[in-house]
Amino acid sequence: MVKEIERYGIPIVHMATITTISESVGANRIVPTVAIPHPVGNPALSPEDEYALRKELVGRALQALATEITEVTHFE
Amino acid sequence: MKLEIGRINIKDIQFGDGTFVQDGVLTVDREGLTAFLKEDERVAGVRLDIARPGEKVRIIPVKDVVEPRVKIEGTGAGFPGVTAKPSQCGQGRTHVLYGAAVVTVGDIVGFQEGVIDMWGEGGRWTPFSKTCNVTLDLQVVDGLDTHTHEETIRLAGLRAAEFIGLAGRGAEPDEVLTYEMGGIFEETEKYPNLPKVLYAEMMITQGLLHDTYIYGVNAQTILPALMHPHEELDGAVISGNCVAACDKITTYQHQNNSVILDLFAQHGKEINFMGVVMVPEHTTLSGKLRASDYTLKLAQMLGADAVVVSEEGYGNPDSDLLMICKKCENAGIKTVLITDECAGRDGMSQGLADTASEAVAVVSTGNVSHVVTLAPAERVIGNPESIAVLAGGWKGALLEDGTLMCELNAVIGSTSEIGYHHVTCRQY
Repeated sequence: MVKEIERYGIPIVHMATITTISESVGANRIVPTVAIPHPVGNPALSPEDEYALRKELVGRALQALATEITEVTHFE
Repeated sequence: MKLEIGRINIKDIQFGDGTFVQDGVLTVDREGLTAFLKEDERVAGVRLDIARPGEKVRIIPVKDVVEPRVKIEGTGAGFPGVTAKPSQCGQGRTHVLYGAAVVTVGDIVGFQEGVIDMWGEGGRWTPFSKTCNVTLDLQVVDGLDTHTHEETIRLAGLRAAEFIGLAGRGAEPDEVLTYEMGGIFEETEKYPNLPKVLYAEMMITQGLLHDTYIYGVNAQTILPALMHPHEELDGAVISGNCVAACDKITTYQHQNNSVILDLFAQHGKEINFMGVVMVPEHTTLSGKLRASDYTLKLAQMLGADAVVVSEEGYGNPDSDLLMICKKCENAGIKTVLITDECAGRDGMSQGLADTASEAVAVVSTGNVSHVVTLAPAERVIGNPESIAVLAGGWKGALLEDGTLMCELNAVIGSTSEIGYHHVTCRQY
């Protein structure tokens, strides 16, 4: 899906925990996430801290979309 | 370390007074076993049944399969750290009711348990159509959370195997298999010219009812650990998995791990088999990186020339498998990978979620997406409707006449990644 959307010309970012798989399927903008069962959350955190984590991750993904890249780039 | 496995061949099974073996027939005390399992206050009801090879019986949904055994000499009685106090497995003598199995049945999470057909097409795909099975369908008390429910059923299966295994105490084995292996330096001195081979056994340890236990320790919490091969063959490793049925390693398959047995068969002939590294499969990238680094380090410390790696499950653990492969190959240690494939119903899709050019020796144990049609059963143990929610099944998979369509995904042990199954490859 990531590849097809990008091929159509729309910038796309892959938020994924196992970034090695992101790379092997051909994603170019990659944001590493928390864990497979909870990619953009962390049940071990307090609700406030988890909200901050989620906001930070989404912010980073938006930043990745707005960034020009020439090769596979991890936004860590 | 020396381990003797005394096999008492079981040809048939029945309920009766007392639990014993006579002339290859295993008799199980139904009331006694029921009362024993009800000692756990979380167990509300026990339905025991029997399924024999060749009978038109379908068992669904299956959680785990356990081989009934008893310790005759040495430490390691029962399942140490789980049903018995901690003690060392892998030495002395264990009697096995060979050909018998305990099968736990019942919905826990509503998906990712499996089916065993005792005959026909379904029977061809699962190794547990060849065993004389005692099935345990347990109801638990109201209000148990899912994890406690899983634990209750897991322990009941293990305790039932112990209870029935006692029948092997007085019986004379039909065959005694002896496994003996000295320390790593001692064996290497004996076989200086043979390649040193390590076995890395990956285990699903992902929480949410996807767990494996070693001496009762949840393997989620461990760094890769070196074990003597005897330990796994003697009850140190058990399954707590509610995961896709085709390639989860049931407790029975840990007790009879085919990779260990095959490596043993070549020990001192073609290879020097050094031991088993139990590798947890994590849900985080850092966990996967750490476990693969640590596995390589153990292989290097032991001076391994090659590592055989088997996976459990598919999807994200494919990346763990290939990380271990890449790191070992790049360090000059050869690898052979054993994995199944999720290649679509036509078998044309990429088999693994991840790829690596270093993976040059890979054994495929089958395509989990292959669809099979299973004829109606004369008797169903459990709940046939559950196919709608099993991984590999779908709503409408159970036809009105009782015919079942499903992917191999739903058939217990059908694509076993430790090779404990019936699928073979043929090149045309």
